[in-house]
Amino acid sequence: MRFLVAIPALNEGAVIASVLASLAEVHPLRDVVVIDDGSHDDTGRIAREAGAHVLTHAFNIGVGAAMGTAFKYAAAHGYEAVVQFDGDGQHRPEHIAELVAAAQHADIVIGSRFAKGGTFRSSAARRGVQRCIAWVVSLYARSKLTDATSGFRIAGPRALAVFSVHYPVEWLGDTVESIVLATRQGLTVSEIPVGMNERAGGTPSQSVLRATLYTGRILFILILAAIRTVPPQLRHLRGAQKEARA
Amino acid sequence: MTPQLLAIAMAVVLFIAVILLLRSYVLPEKYAVLWLVASVVAIVLSAWPDLLDNVSNFFGIAQPINLLFVGAFFVVFLLLMQVTLELARTRDELRKTVQRLALELEKRHVDDD
Repeated sequence: MRFLVAIPALNEGAVIASVLASLAEVHPLRDVVVIDDGSHDDTGRIAREAGAHVLTHAFNIGVGAAMGTAFKYAAAHGYEAVVQFDGDGQHRPEHIAELVAAAQHADIVIGSRFAKGGTFRSSAARRGVQRCIAWVVSLYARSKLTDATSGFRIAGPRALAVFSVHYPVEWLGDTVESIVLATRQGLTVSEIPVGMNERAGGTPSQSVLRATLYTGRILFILILAAIRTVPPQLRHLRGAQKEARA
Repeated sequence: MTPQLLAIAMAVVLFIAVILLLRSYVLPEKYAVLWLVASVVAIVLSAWPDLLDNVSNFFGIAQPINLLFVGAFFVVFLLLMQVTLELARTRDELRKTVQRLALELEKRHVDDD
C-alpha cells in the first residue's frame, strides 16, 4: 500500500528535525508531508530542508483543517492511505508498520495509548474522561475503541475518499467527530495498542480549563452526531456508494 | 389561545429552528451554543413565568418585565459581539490569505521568466 505520512505541525521548530530523522528510518521522507499550520517559527523551513514536503497555511486554522489539507494532497498525488503522525515526538515511528498492516482489515486504525499493551500514563481524572468518551465513540463505531482522541492513526483508501472531500475542522473535534463521520459513511474503525513517548517539545495543546471545555464539546458533538444528517459535501459520495452496491 | 401558549410556541419554534440548522451542518456548533442556551431560557421562562418573578425579587427589581428586557438585551449584545469579533477575525484571515497568495503567484512568475 502506497501511503503518505502526514504531520500537522504548529511551532514545532525545536523538535521537527529529530522527529523527521527518526521517521526517516522507517519511511522515505519524500512520502512525508508536514502541514505547517501557521507556525511563527522555522518549522516549515526546517522540515523542507530535512527532505519532507511542506504545505503552509497562511494562518492557524487547526489540526482538523491541517489534516483536511493533507488528505486532499494525498488524493491529488495518488496515495492509497494516510498515516497521521504528531510533530512533537510523542508518536513512535516503529508502530507505523503495525498500523499499515492493521489497515488491511479496517478503513481506519487508531493507535491507542490505553489499549492492552499501550504504555501511556496520565492522571486518573484524565483517564476517566478519556474512558467516558471512548465508551460513547465505541457505541457509534460498533467496535471497542479505547482512545478516540489519539492523533496517531491511519486512514485507508475508502476513508481517504471520504476525508479528502470532507474532514471535520472544528477545534479539537477532528479526532472524535471524524470517527463518527466515518462510521456513518459505512467505514470500519479498529485500534492497535501503541506506546508513546513523553512530549519532546512544542507547546501542549491542553490546560485544565481547556480540557474541561474540550470534554464538554466532544460530548456535545457526540450528541449532535446522533441527530445529524450527512454533510452536504458528502451526499454525492453516499449516492455513488449506493449505486455501486445496487 | 393564551399569550403564554403563544410565547411557549414561539420559543419552541426558535429551539427547533436552531436544532434543524445544526443538524444539516448549516450552523457550526461553535455559534450554536449561545443560540441553544437563549432558546432554552426562552422556553423555560415562558413555561414558568413565576420563575421570572422570583429571580426579580432576588435581585430587588420591582418590575419583573424589566429583568426580562435587560436579560434579552444582554443576550442580543453577546450575539452581536460574537458576530463582530468573528467578522474582524475573518477579515484578518482573508488579508493574510490574499497576501500569501500574492507572494506565491509572484514566485510562479519568476519561475516562468
